[in-house]
Amino acid sequence: MGGASRRGARLAGRALLPIVAVAVILVALPPLWFGDSPYTTSLAVRALVFASYGIGFNLIFGCTNQLFLCVGALAGIGGYSTAILADRSSLPIAAAIAVAVAGAALIGGLLSWIAVRRSLGIIFTGIVTLVFSLAFANFLLGQRDLTGSETGLVLTAAPASLADDRIRAYYLFAGVVVGLLIVFRALQLTHVGWAFRGLRDDEIAAELAGVDVARYRIYAATVGSAMIGLTGALYAYSSGFISPATYSFDLVDVRVLVLVAFGGLGTLLGPVIGAGVFAVVDERLTASLELREVLYGVFVIAIFLGFRRGVVHAFVALFDRLVGSRRSEPAREPSRQ
Amino acid sequence: MRAVVLDGIVLGLAFGLLGVGMTLVYGLGGVLNLAYGQIVVLAAIVISLLMEDGAATVLAALVGVLAAAGVAVLLDLTLMRPVYRQHGEERTLMGLLLTLGAAFVIGGLLTWRYPTGALYINVSGEPISILGVPMAVGSIWASVIALAVAALLLLFFGATTFGRGVRSVIQDETGARLVGINPSFVRTVIFALSGALAGVVAITQSMSGPLTVNAGFELTTFALIVTVVGGLGSVAGAFLAGVLLGVVNSLSAHYIGQYITTVILLGAAALTILVRPRGLLGR
Amino acid sequence: MLEVVGLAAGYLGERVVDGIDVEVRSGEAVAIVGSNGAGKTTLFRAIAGLLSTMEGRVVLDGKELTRRPAHRISRAGVAYVPAERHLFPAMTLKSNLVLGAYPRRPDPETLELVYDLFPRLKERQRQQAGTLSGGEQQMVAVARALMARPRLLMLDEPTTGLSPAIAQLAFEAFEELKKQGMTLLIAEQQVPLALSVADRGYVLENGRIRLEGASDELERNPEVRRAYLGVA
Repeated sequence: MGGASRRGARLAGRALLPIVAVAVILVALPPLWFGDSPYTTSLAVRALVFASYGIGFNLIFGCTNQLFLCVGALAGIGGYSTAILADRSSLPIAAAIAVAVAGAALIGGLLSWIAVRRSLGIIFTGIVTLVFSLAFANFLLGQRDLTGSETGLVLTAAPASLADDRIRAYYLFAGVVVGLLIVFRALQLTHVGWAFRGLRDDEIAAELAGVDVARYRIYAATVGSAMIGLTGALYAYSSGFISPATYSFDLVDVRVLVLVAFGGLGTLLGPVIGAGVFAVVDERLTASLELREVLYGVFVIAIFLGFRRGVVHAFVALFDRLVGSRRSEPAREPSRQ
Repeated sequence: MRAVVLDGIVLGLAFGLLGVGMTLVYGLGGVLNLAYGQIVVLAAIVISLLMEDGAATVLAALVGVLAAAGVAVLLDLTLMRPVYRQHGEERTLMGLLLTLGAAFVIGGLLTWRYPTGALYINVSGEPISILGVPMAVGSIWASVIALAVAALLLLFFGATTFGRGVRSVIQDETGARLVGINPSFVRTVIFALSGALAGVVAITQSMSGPLTVNAGFELTTFALIVTVVGGLGSVAGAFLAGVLLGVVNSLSAHYIGQYITTVILLGAAALTILVRPRGLLGR
Repeated sequence: MLEVVGLAAGYLGERVVDGIDVEVRSGEAVAIVGSNGAGKTTLFRAIAGLLSTMEGRVVLDGKELTRRPAHRISRAGVAYVPAERHLFPAMTLKSNLVLGAYPRRPDPETLELVYDLFPRLKERQRQQAGTLSGGEQQMVAVARALMARPRLLMLDEPTTGLSPAIAQLAFEAFEELKKQGMTLLIAEQQVPLALSVADRGYVLENGRIRLEGASDELERNPEVRRAYLGVA
């Protein structure tokens, strides 16, 4: 009895170690790095927001190979629902956020269901979700009364303290990132994660082994979309102002795809590392937007030519080679349900 | 209305060539070249630079086409090798991400170096009346060039030994290897061809209006839509889809609005995917 | 003409065939017989260059073919007709044949020869290859291989999907080819049919050569009779 619980504790500790490390780094960062610069702080907040988007996207694409090019749209559903409900209905802000998240989760699940029903591959799923993205953007621009169109929406329910003091927003999103990492990790360690891995390795084999690929895909899409919606909602809450540009495909989706792929699709820390690296690039190359673009491209090409599976796997491989021993992953038993 | 449709056809012929370039590379190797639009822009910039230096239009155009073909071959020999070593969805994913990276690099470099770069080939002359509609001479030239290139392609794929070899690789790569065809070499040649087509599109598009340095992603999107609607891997399908969507684009932009037009075109792609995934003429 | 020495090949690091020594002399017909899973296709794919060899050598008339790419081996004069045929389905029968001569233009004499061997193909030359029957597709596959005027013709389970009558016809064609001087290497499950055309044979079992000898010797061999000819 005692042995099992000790083993369980050790396992839990090992599983949570990377997340704890991330949390520690995030907490320590502001005093060490930001130096009271509001600009740097905003960059950091932006990086955290994209890391959060990335974790959700990672769950959908990295784990179950569904190329959802509608991260911005899902975040927008979260953000705009929150803004509209908080200001125009009697719902308290927390409830508004909850409804917004549910909405995003529902749409994400629906898109996944369509993709599954029509057996759409990566490319086709990407195009269909892209169309959804644009349709949503168009809806935002068109429904002036509801969404404010290009001029955007101001959230009167948002606390001014968050909007002005970006440090508090920083800690809010740091918490979100850690929270989402914990959820992601938890999923990885259960039968769900086991199914995801099998699905990614060989879909047909997984299907034959009894894994209901369709169900896990929709599940991943729903949870991932909830994460994205939550981030979008909290962004609206914390900044007090949103517009279609906040959630556009160009600004959100392309960046999320590139940074998650760079960090490592399907890995726990991939999105965080990717977001971090790209934030540093943004900070160093503030002058030229175009050169930044070139550098993103070089990074993506370099990582994929050198190591297909992203930075995290590259480090693991390097570590293994240096240390010499093979770091074996704890055998994950599918939990008995 | 007739004017709009004719304009649409002119646009559609360019779309068609774009689609053919993209679908060829896909049909041969399962890779969607997301850097395709940037190659068009690259050709445009090269041509405009040469013309600024005083080169004759025709010479500049030729160099532009060769430059585009050259860059395409470079991409194939560097980035595509590791991609072709993968199979199935791994290859699709890697192809998408590597070409996306290449798109960022090429597009970023071009917009950084030539932020106001644009190509406009002004063809002088009185408008010619086609079916009662006065058409700009530039548009007529663009259409003629596009049709001539299309005819050459038809000849190439239908009548030449190498062209038949290309079709064979698309239909059954193992069979092609067994009769002595080197699929790797064929892919490189076709990549070059797709680059050359991109160069031709740069020329024809710039005859109707200025082709700017940031048109890259938009062009890639159009190429993608045309490829999907025509049927991934079908050259005839891409050309047909190009012309049809060109007309749709023209009508929609004229009667509804520019922004919605993009949504409509992408919607057409989505509709194809959901209702008839093999596209117009795909297998 | 063809020498295979100590060949080992397989998939994902696993050896499916090992220690294979096969010899095919000019003008001979050699059969490789064995049951399903014995490794016949793996062996053929390795010789033809569709699969890389892990160990050993493949030599054609002194020319080293080991680990060369399939298209080079094809151009060196080895024509491989796989069980799956790998025709070009959206092209006409004639276009398939024409491509067989790649990179050369088809020699009209060879085309006539091929049509004489398989008269039914001449009737259907404008038909799309994908719409032909199984037997016809098999003939097209062999005909296409012949268009290159190969030195060695390798046939992998040519009777796959064919009715006994058509299979018989196919082997009659092979007999005719042999009479015309073609060197044949045939892998077959249907042992009597294979040994009827072959001069010599090898028995492949679990990835290794079990027996070898003249075809009539093998036909008389009690082990072969029990395992493959269904005779007690």
